[in-house]
Amino acid sequence: MTELSQPLAKVPRQPLLGRRYTLELRQQMGWSGQALVIGLAVIVGLALSTAILVAAGVPADQLLEEFVGQTLLDAGNFKAVLFQAAPMILVGMAGCLAFRARFWNLGLEGQMIWGGIGAAAVSIFQIGPEALRLPLMMASAIACAMLWTLAPVLLKLRLKVNEVISTLMLNYIAANFLLHLLYGSWKDPRDNFPYSPAFQPFERLPDLFAGYNVAIVIALVIMALAVWFISVSRAGLYLRFVDANPKVASAVGVPVRRMILSTVLLSGALAGVAGFIVSAGQEGRLTQSFYQGYGFSGILIAFLARNNPFAAAVVALLVAMLFVAGRNLQVFYQVPFSMVQLIQAILVICVASSDFFIRHRLRRIQAGEQ
Amino acid sequence: MDLVTYWLGSVPEFAVPFALAALGLIIIERAGVLALGAEGMMLVGALAGIGMQLALGLPGLSMLAAMAAASAVSLLFALMVLLLRINQVIAGLALVFFCQGLTGLLGTLLGWTNRPVSGLQAAELWPLSELPVVGGLFRQNPMVFLTVLIFVAVVWFLNRTRTGLKLRAVGENPQAADAAGLPVLRYRLAAILAGSALMGLAGGFIAVLSTKMWIADMTGGRGWIAIALVIFARWSPWRAFAGALLFGSIEALIPQLAAAGVQLPQYFMLMTPYAVTLAVMVWVAASKRAGASQPGALGEPYVREERR
Repeated sequence: MTELSQPLAKVPRQPLLGRRYTLELRQQMGWSGQALVIGLAVIVGLALSTAILVAAGVPADQLLEEFVGQTLLDAGNFKAVLFQAAPMILVGMAGCLAFRARFWNLGLEGQMIWGGIGAAAVSIFQIGPEALRLPLMMASAIACAMLWTLAPVLLKLRLKVNEVISTLMLNYIAANFLLHLLYGSWKDPRDNFPYSPAFQPFERLPDLFAGYNVAIVIALVIMALAVWFISVSRAGLYLRFVDANPKVASAVGVPVRRMILSTVLLSGALAGVAGFIVSAGQEGRLTQSFYQGYGFSGILIAFLARNNPFAAAVVALLVAMLFVAGRNLQVFYQVPFSMVQLIQAILVICVASSDFFIRHRLRRIQAGEQ
Repeated sequence: MDLVTYWLGSVPEFAVPFALAALGLIIIERAGVLALGAEGMMLVGALAGIGMQLALGLPGLSMLAAMAAASAVSLLFALMVLLLRINQVIAGLALVFFCQGLTGLLGTLLGWTNRPVSGLQAAELWPLSELPVVGGLFRQNPMVFLTVLIFVAVVWFLNRTRTGLKLRAVGENPQAADAAGLPVLRYRLAAILAGSALMGLAGGFIAVLSTKMWIADMTGGRGWIAIALVIFARWSPWRAFAGALLFGSIEALIPQLAAAGVQLPQYFMLMTPYAVTLAVMVWVAASKRAGASQPGALGEPYVREERR
């Protein structure tokens, strides 16, 4: 380091925007100001997305119709949106819980896969009486997903193994195991396609009435439980301590490790329920790709909602609209489904960037001031 | 015996993407920026390389296009972490998702998916290529030999030049570097651009010279494995090179075993690189050496507080 200690020629520094403005940290920004900045960021993101959609060949005058008109006003599509919102809410909650425990759970997809496998196993091996089959499938989904989550969280707590990498690696392992099952012993004997045999009618999530599936009710009940857990229960209070400062939390007697362990397991359990809902609700069997896209969306929802479960439910509904509109665009305008992921990424980048304007401001330098 | 010969001969082709991506990561992380975006940079490089190869068919130019495209997209990452000071984990993840969406979309819209391209003729390093058993190691794609040269150059740059020393200083202690008059953000920007170019090259190699076509998400987690590799290598280029050879030989073994007619469950074989990565991470963590050589300011945005 000796070379560095030599004095180097001092170059006068140019302040931002040619000396007349300076960047400074903001003390605090009011709620309305924050909402305005985030709202502007979302508008910028939507404008960019619109430009990309138009460039990809969707007529500009059809966009509002496809994304809002079709998804909310068309009865069939609205049912699809609600149906799609159920797993979205669950993975969003899963993201919120894990992030509140300061755990980057990027393994939502792997946990969903194990949820699906657990549910399908109950169906394939015909465990339990018909009336109890659905609850058993859900319990099995939760158990399998929690077991799959146990490894990365224990590795993180015991050995400080980076959970970003470990959960992602476990996703690839789970996906390959799913393919192993679907191309092997769980292949549908009826048509030899690589998906599991179709679930029996009593193993599928029923409609409440007229095409509105019970899935969204399950999701909302679980959301209510998550709200209670985060906002009301003692565990939620502990969790806020852990999130704010794990060392201080430990010093004042919060069981930090146990809190992290149980919260992350809960996060995995919710992802497992999402896997159960997608396979027993939407697909009616275990397919090769039923989980794809949910891992990223769950993280995005939790991030955009700032880990608040109510906000997460709203964002999840919007993401579900995006998914349904994306599928329609795929059919009508041959726009690849990757578009949905690109739009989500652009929105995340815009909203993340907006934080800078909440925390900093430009100030004009008065005459005579340094 | 044949199995070993063919296997050894195919190791470099599988090792090169890991090696180049890990080297790119080391450059960026030595400058103190946590680069989780490797997977995305590799995808961008892969798509750009295939595009150039389909247009002109000159592999050298395709590799340059892969590097340039990854560097260009990395400007977005630089904007996020250097200027806007977004949490580097969020920024890295967002970058990967952005690149996955972008390349998936462009690959389909431009009609570049599943279109085979011609790669490169193998070059021989005579007389080493005539050796029994290990001869195959020296009959390789020219990019393999170039990778070794790139490694030598980067190691020399990082450890033997003044600029390399300054780059490492910026990553170890940006406050001190700033006090010594180094433009911290400019060094970090340069590191991001150069490192991303190498990751793009890794992706371009996979698409143009190895798989010889574009498939959406074709890097299959190799970028994440490269990140684990860098932790395993404790940010040292030559240890990363050795790690890349290890992963390359595991990946190369999968098709060789299948070709030799060894009956193994296919999907369990495909799991092995990820399982080995996990095992390596656990091993490194259990041996408690990981933190020792981590760049001091890794992942911390540099904010000069005097500019209030």
